Amino acid sequence: MDRTRGTAATPKSLWPESPWRAAGRRLVERPSASVGLVVLITLLFCVPTAPLLGNGPLERALAAGQGSLSFALLGGLLGAAAGLAWGIAATALGPRAERSLMGLAERLAGLPLALALPLAAGLAGRGPGVLAPAAALTAAPFIALVTRAELRALLRREFLAAAQAAGVPPGRILRRHLIPNAALPLAAAAWTALPRALAAESFAGLLGLGLPGSVPSWGAALAAAVRAGDPAALAAPALLLALSLWALHAVGDGLRAAAASGETPRTAGGGRP
Amino acid sequence: MTTPLLSVEGFSLLAGDAVLLDRLTFAVGAGEVLAVTGAAGSGKSLLLKALAGLAPPDLTCDGTVRTVGRRILVTADGTLFPHRTLGAQFVELLHHHLGLDEHMALRRAVEALEWFRMPAAARRLSLYPHELSEAQRWRAVLALAVAAQPAVLLADAPAAALDPTQRAWMLDRLAGWARENGAALLIAGRAEEGVAGPADRRLLLEADRLRPAPPPPGLAADGDVNREPPPAGAPALSVRDLRVAFRLGRTWTGEDRWLTVVDGVGFDLAEGDTLALVGESGSGKSVLARALLRLVPPSGGQVAWLGRDLAGAPPDALRRARRDLQMLFPDPAAALDPGMTVGAQMAELLETLRPDIPAADRGPRIADALREVGLHEAVAALHPAALDAAEAAHAGLARALLPEPRLLVCDEPAATLAGADRAAFLARLMEVRRRRRLALVYATQDASDALRVGRRALVLLLGRIVEAADSAALVEGARHPLTRAMLAVAQGAKGGGSGGEFGSGLPGDPPSALAPPSGCALRLRCPLARDHCAQEPPALEGAATSHRIACHYWETNSQGAS
Ligand code: SF4
Repeated sequence: MDRTRGTAATPKSLWPESPWRAAGRRLVERPSASVGLVVLITLLFCVPTAPLLGNGPLERALAAGQGSLSFALLGGLLGAAAGLAWGIAATALGPRAERSLMGLAERLAGLPLALALPLAAGLAGRGPGVLAPAAALTAAPFIALVTRAELRALLRREFLAAAQAAGVPPGRILRRHLIPNAALPLAAAAWTALPRALAAESFAGLLGLGLPGSVPSWGAALAAAVRAGDPAALAAPALLLALSLWALHAVGDGLRAAAASGETPRTAGGGRP
Repeated sequence: MTTPLLSVEGFSLLAGDAVLLDRLTFAVGAGEVLAVTGAAGSGKSLLLKALAGLAPPDLTCDGTVRTVGRRILVTADGTLFPHRTLGAQFVELLHHHLGLDEHMALRRAVEALEWFRMPAAARRLSLYPHELSEAQRWRAVLALAVAAQPAVLLADAPAAALDPTQRAWMLDRLAGWARENGAALLIAGRAEEGVAGPADRRLLLEADRLRPAPPPPGLAADGDVNREPPPAGAPALSVRDLRVAFRLGRTWTGEDRWLTVVDGVGFDLAEGDTLALVGESGSGKSVLARALLRLVPPSGGQVAWLGRDLAGAPPDALRRARRDLQMLFPDPAAALDPGMTVGAQMAELLETLRPDIPAADRGPRIADALREVGLHEAVAALHPAALDAAEAAHAGLARALLPEPRLLVCDEPAATLAGADRAAFLARLMEVRRRRRLALVYATQDASDALRVGRRALVLLLGRIVEAADSAALVEGARHPLTRAMLAVAQGAKGGGSGGEFGSGLPGDPPSALAPPSGCALRLRCPLARDHCAQEPPALEGAATSHRIACHYWETNSQGAS
């Protein structure tokens, strides 16, 4: 049998999209993910410029998002970094470290971590230097667990053994095979820190234990509206908060889908023109 | 013959204008076993579904199907309800079909499970399907089917995923039940899945039509066995007492627990020679293959290539050895990095293993290698996701050939391929091997494959060699019960008649490395086992210098057979 694919195939089928572009396409092809992406971009654009737009209830709620979103970014990045480092350390440092690190992550993940933020604020004050690590803590154990699982699955994949059989030195296997294939699944895992940090801060703000009063935030705005008994003032921040949480989750799901379907095995004969 | 229980006349299945099955006519009488073989996608499953009255509603059936009595279909996935205990499923089915009360139904269930030798059958009834191993699940599925006492039993690729000797035994029991109870049994599946083994008649479904399956050539009769003369020269690869064990953790007394996967294997291989490693799941053949290339670290023993031990070799020496020793992986598509083009991965291999080749020559070399295995050179620019399974297998072969190796270690190559694709790939592999005079280590679970490829074969069980001999000698007179069973099943599966006393496989499951039986590892499955087998593991001893067997009774037991 002579498999002379390509002589008959059109040039287009000879140059199929790269895996990265395919993942990007899978992300935007998910309706919820692309809507979520649009919502996020719009919010990122409107929230800083809200004071220029006017002084209605919606504009004021948008402006209150400044504190919430920047805090979510800060706490989320911190949580993502901590979670990734945690999971990578557990995978790299050998079975004993793995058992203790993952045992800790599992135990923490079982606790109501959303309480960490108001608790920290109550004990140590409401500065961002206290709240951001607390928000990171609400996300890091989950990310560590997912990271470890992803890395384990990745390390078992056969192309790493094939690279070893090809004599590729360990450092290069790490750089050229492991990291590129880990990037997308780990990014999807890390992304979950953003909605968690946002939700945790808003919850603490609602209790009056969130960011200090000088920083506007949706949680504080909600708390103020509840105290004032003003349903109209309640609606706008509640809506915006719900919208951004949904959008963050939708994009996260999209990332996960984009990362996952790169591994689905192809059925025989599926690629023939 | 009396009126058949299942008779099909001019049966066609149409999807719109497309003809899926074209005027099939056949009949199965009481106590008869019919095998329908065919390639993947030839419509066997559809036929069975249609016969059971479960054809998808958008298809049109034509012709007549007459059945007498109850029909039961066992689907290829062998599904049980996930959230019900086995007992509950038996009770419901038997109540529905036979109107039995719970007590009677459970009695019948135990009988049926015992027919398939489910260990501790009565206790299994309280288990959920996910608590059963794959083999036990199939025992339960088949027992469930026969407990309902159908007149017509339709089985679609039953137990296809199990080991050959295990599957052959189950199919034989199923056929035995049909003959004993006067039921009509129709088994469908690919020829490789051994469905033809216990059948009285065999039909082949090809190009929408049924015709009698051609009598396949027997294994022993023809030149299908590798009878090359042993190559002269000193051994190039020599393996001594190789061990691979994985640490499982600690017991409560603080001792380390080890899982021994390869246990003291040794052999020599000259340049250009071929060796097959034969074994069923858990035999350690795959780990052994990888340990040869140090893809898994050996925990003891020695692997020497051209007189140099690889176990303690520094990275540089190991890299030089890797140039000579290349590997084919069981899932070739998974052995390619999805993030890089095929060509980039091949160039990477050249860069590390052949630094003597200038970068400018890499492209032409890669194109040559791809052409040599029959792929178009443009494949180099593709990402692995754009390849189908057969193309990936060929690309894997091309990559392995790039550094101009002298030994190929193949771990079930083409395990992801079936039918014509598989045959074509293996033919290509053998052709390349002949042309380049490559030595080959070929791990497989298919005994007939092994004898065809390997001049010599090692039969492995639980990480140990149980029989080592030339393929020609094994065909004429295999001595170990496991070898005889595997060969007989491989022969019987192709329809070469009953394979003698071992033709119906071996009962029970392959031994587990976590809890190996005392004495001989085959003891619990061996039909020839005696008391002494439990006391002492048999040593590998010679019938001839080139033929060694690990069985206490190889001399006495093989007298009757030869
Ligand atoms: S030693 Fe005993 S149990 Fe083992 S293969 Fe020989 S006869 Fe069978």
